[in-house]
Amino acid sequence: MSEQPMFEHEVATLIVQTLKLKIDPATIQPDAALFGDGLGLDSIDALELSLAISQTYGYQLKSSDPDIKAIFSSLRALANAIVKNRTK
Amino acid sequence: MHDTPLIGPYSPDDVLALEPDGPRTARQFVSDVARLAESLPDRLTVINLATSRYEFLVGFAAAILRRQLTLLPQSRAVQTLRRIAGDYPECYALTDRDEKIDGIESVAMQQRQGLAPWPDEIPLVPLNQVVAIAFTSGSTGQPMPNKKTWGALTAVAHATGSRLGIKIGDRASVVATVPHQHMFGLEASVMLPIMHGLVMHAGRPLFPADILSALADVEGRRILVTTPLHLRACMTEGVRMPPVGLILSATAPLSQGLAQEAERHFHTEVHEIFGFAEAGSVAERRTTVGDSWRPLDGVRLQSSERGWTVETDYLPAPVLVPDRMSVDAQGLFVVHGREADQINVAGHRVSLGDLNQKLLEVEGVQDGVFFLPEEVSDFVTRLMAFVVAPGKTSEEIQRALRTHIDPVFLPRPLVCVPSLPRNATGKLPQESVRELARQWLAGQGHGT
Repeated sequence: MSEQPMFEHEVATLIVQTLKLKIDPATIQPDAALFGDGLGLDSIDALELSLAISQTYGYQLKSSDPDIKAIFSSLRALANAIVKNRTK
Repeated sequence: MHDTPLIGPYSPDDVLALEPDGPRTARQFVSDVARLAESLPDRLTVINLATSRYEFLVGFAAAILRRQLTLLPQSRAVQTLRRIAGDYPECYALTDRDEKIDGIESVAMQQRQGLAPWPDEIPLVPLNQVVAIAFTSGSTGQPMPNKKTWGALTAVAHATGSRLGIKIGDRASVVATVPHQHMFGLEASVMLPIMHGLVMHAGRPLFPADILSALADVEGRRILVTTPLHLRACMTEGVRMPPVGLILSATAPLSQGLAQEAERHFHTEVHEIFGFAEAGSVAERRTTVGDSWRPLDGVRLQSSERGWTVETDYLPAPVLVPDRMSVDAQGLFVVHGREADQINVAGHRVSLGDLNQKLLEVEGVQDGVFFLPEEVSDFVTRLMAFVVAPGKTSEEIQRALRTHIDPVFLPRPLVCVPSLPRNATGKLPQESVRELARQWLAGQGHGT
């Protein structure tokens, strides 16, 4: 089990709170899939999560972004994308 | 029964759809349908999984010409598809070019070369031909098939268009956030545009920024077919949208507040459609004007012993409305909520009895119940579940459930409890479950 760096933990907490998941944020594996087989999230979750990310970090997600699948592929990828694109 | 054309009033060079790489004219569409129809396997039923709304329409139309039935699964979850494929063993899946569905014969949409000549006559479809099957969840746990005739789909498209003042050939463009495999999506984002000669945006924008760019892609009067969830997301983000001519919302009731906010934000009228998979769209209202629904032309409401039913010329028999409602002397009605066993999550209706049954079938689960909290929110309210399963973790039960129910119905959260508050007769009153949920939420600090 790899440890979550601080910012990944912050994003994991945002995911758990936004989507009302009954899990400890620290147990989300940084490299595991968020959607489908991993945490089992769906497109409604993606939309709610995108709003939380936009409000917290000022980063608006777009499906037309060629990297969108990669961005949502794991906690680590999502955290990295937020770091790169955040405006607040 | 007579036959009607596959598409409404388009000239050959009118744009019928807009794909990311450019427009598709009516000429291209008719050619694409003819080419695909020639190459489809000889089967009775098809699951059309095309991601592009235009490609879905090409597949749907080609299947109609080959007299094949298009199955409309409640979700794209592999277990849902397999369950349906189990009931229709000779079916195949029509998929995007690079996609294969495990366990179901998949036929990829092929690149179509060139352009076939414009036919002397647009292909005709008999009104009584069954063209699609929508599935609903019954209390027995088996998906219930609802047959859709060409006559039903075209009648609903015309009645909706006339109610909303959409004129034949007024060249408006439809942008939709709803899936085209969903009954409302099929009616409002596929049948409505093609019966009125409109332009259909092939995308399915999800995030507010996507909705903005899809609206910016199209010209003329813009019609946005969407849901309360997407509208709320657009308001929250405060994205400035290009002028929209009309918003059509369905799948969940829109609150007065959100409807007013959306009318201000988009500078347009917001109309809602009331419908359900068994009957399709049956009524409309402008939310800001009042709670009452006005039946679409040709829809009659009748009182029966079991509740209200819908009757039309295109439905073979009266269809029971799954909601409690009251109807006034003018035939307008107000909806008071689902019948006890029926719930709706994000436009997907399911029987609680069915879900509870599936929960009890999970190995190690001794008792369990699903519960839908009564939250007033324009976001999607998810189900909760309380489960008695000594020695099992909630993650283990979730994982097992995931193979049996659609993801949208997975409980958030699934709470393990030592016992359920069953009464002396072994029944689990709804009131007790509500109290259990209230206590649990309060304990979590989510209570108010």
